[in-house]
Amino acid sequence: MSAVEPSAAPGAADGGRGSLTAPFWEAAAAGTLVRPVCRRCGNNFFTPTWCCPRCQSEEWSYEPSSGRGTVYSHTTVHRGPGAEWAVPYVLGIVDLEEGWSMLSRLVVDPPDDREPGVLIGTDVRVSFEREPRPPGRMLPVFSPRKAGS
Amino acid sequence: MTVSPHALQDVSIVGVGRTAMARRLETTTLSACLEAARLALDDAGLRVSDIDGVSARWPGPGGTVFQPGSADWSNLLGVPLRWVGDTYPQGIPAALEAAAAIVTGQCTAVLVVGGQAGVLGGDSVASYTRPDNEFISCWGSITQAQFALVAQVYLARYRPDRTALADLAASIRNSGSANPDAVMAGRGPYRAQDVLASPLIASPFHLLEVCLATEGAAAMVLTSNDRAADLRGVPVRLLGGACEWYRQQYVDPPRYDEVALIGSDAGRRAFGMAGMEPADVDVLELYDINIFEVVRQLEALGFCPPGEGVAFAAERGITVAGGLPVNTDGGLLSFAHIGWGAPTLKIVEAVRQVRGEAASGQVQGARTALVTGAGSGAQYHNVLLLERGR
Repeated sequence: MSAVEPSAAPGAADGGRGSLTAPFWEAAAAGTLVRPVCRRCGNNFFTPTWCCPRCQSEEWSYEPSSGRGTVYSHTTVHRGPGAEWAVPYVLGIVDLEEGWSMLSRLVVDPPDDREPGVLIGTDVRVSFEREPRPPGRMLPVFSPRKAGS
Repeated sequence: MTVSPHALQDVSIVGVGRTAMARRLETTTLSACLEAARLALDDAGLRVSDIDGVSARWPGPGGTVFQPGSADWSNLLGVPLRWVGDTYPQGIPAALEAAAAIVTGQCTAVLVVGGQAGVLGGDSVASYTRPDNEFISCWGSITQAQFALVAQVYLARYRPDRTALADLAASIRNSGSANPDAVMAGRGPYRAQDVLASPLIASPFHLLEVCLATEGAAAMVLTSNDRAADLRGVPVRLLGGACEWYRQQYVDPPRYDEVALIGSDAGRRAFGMAGMEPADVDVLELYDINIFEVVRQLEALGFCPPGEGVAFAAERGITVAGGLPVNTDGGLLSFAHIGWGAPTLKIVEAVRQVRGEAASGQVQGARTALVTGAGSGAQYHNVLLLERGR
């Protein structure tokens, strides 16, 4: 799959939040996880922002990720932002193998809360689920995978 | 004119005030802020007309659509201003900016005030507990979950005594329990097992280990030491202070390996300016968003090495009578957390402590205080050292 162009030049006067990240959500709807990659220095970064945080180049593009990563940290949320959130659910920081990371939901049974960090280092793979609340986008989530798969 | 960093020490906090604290106050944020401002001015022995600088933003309800919001206070107080600041957050950054304005001759006396009232309760939750950023809110990440992602790595890596950590939360909660002005006055006392038996919020944090979301307002007045010498009260001198901003809060998740020691740079600079070391501090008012943050800040600020915070705090004792009194009013865990006014609340308590005027939880003979703001989950931090002026 070819790179996904940002729909407006990052940093352009009209390069607002929607257009900056719209390609991410469009790719997710098509079942692909993408991340910004700097064309000048090759840096992978996330969340998307107007210039590369390493070299400040505004020339970057969304590139497909393998969707494979490992869990850096996690927490089980027992009290959500509102009553409409079914608890508990597990959030995690996932380190993707291209050298970037993101917050996401981990599709796992909540671990024993008395044992800290039991999911740290777990190998995971992306999948997509429909966001249960508006605007109902396809959200990348991560499930355990066998190491090396 | 050259301004040395130590010019900060030419400025004192000369008045502090706070309203009643509650889960909900039947008033407006503006009314609460006005009351806190009047109390701080009365405490300083100053009149409204003595104020020529304000850092208060515009708390609402209503107000103009123009920025900076603090300029609206010139209409409200009926006084022309020489300096306005819209510092975020308030507390330490506001005190440091006000001091800079005073020592550079921009103004002579600054009012800092903030808080919230009439906005919480019922179905309404504090908006700052569920940041609405694009790659945070869709996952259902609350503020405490961001901090929990940091704490989880810490607990897995260092394996501190979990009961001892909970006991630290019990200690701070019990200071609040004994404080008639605390929102949680009379609740408790708690033991570590009560803390660990309370409901989980975001693992590893239990309900009794995380801060409140309440209402109230807090204010302080700063002026030069020269001016302070003519006022009736005991001035509290700024000894050192600094801020650090690693990233905007709640946009990207905080990584333990990046934010574990956030505050260490600000702490080194603040202690350096003050010519002090951690052991010289009599009372600590740390920003206790949760109990892990208390431990993390002790490590980042050089009270003990990384990974040893729980054992260190447990051994020293963080109660009012302990060797390391922390959050003497009950802190954000038990006294109050009043939104963007909460950082100022920490300074109010520190000032009362070093003046020997705390109604509850007074540390005997306290002359120096350390105040902090923000934390690892928020990815910024600030530090202030205060000393009784005479």
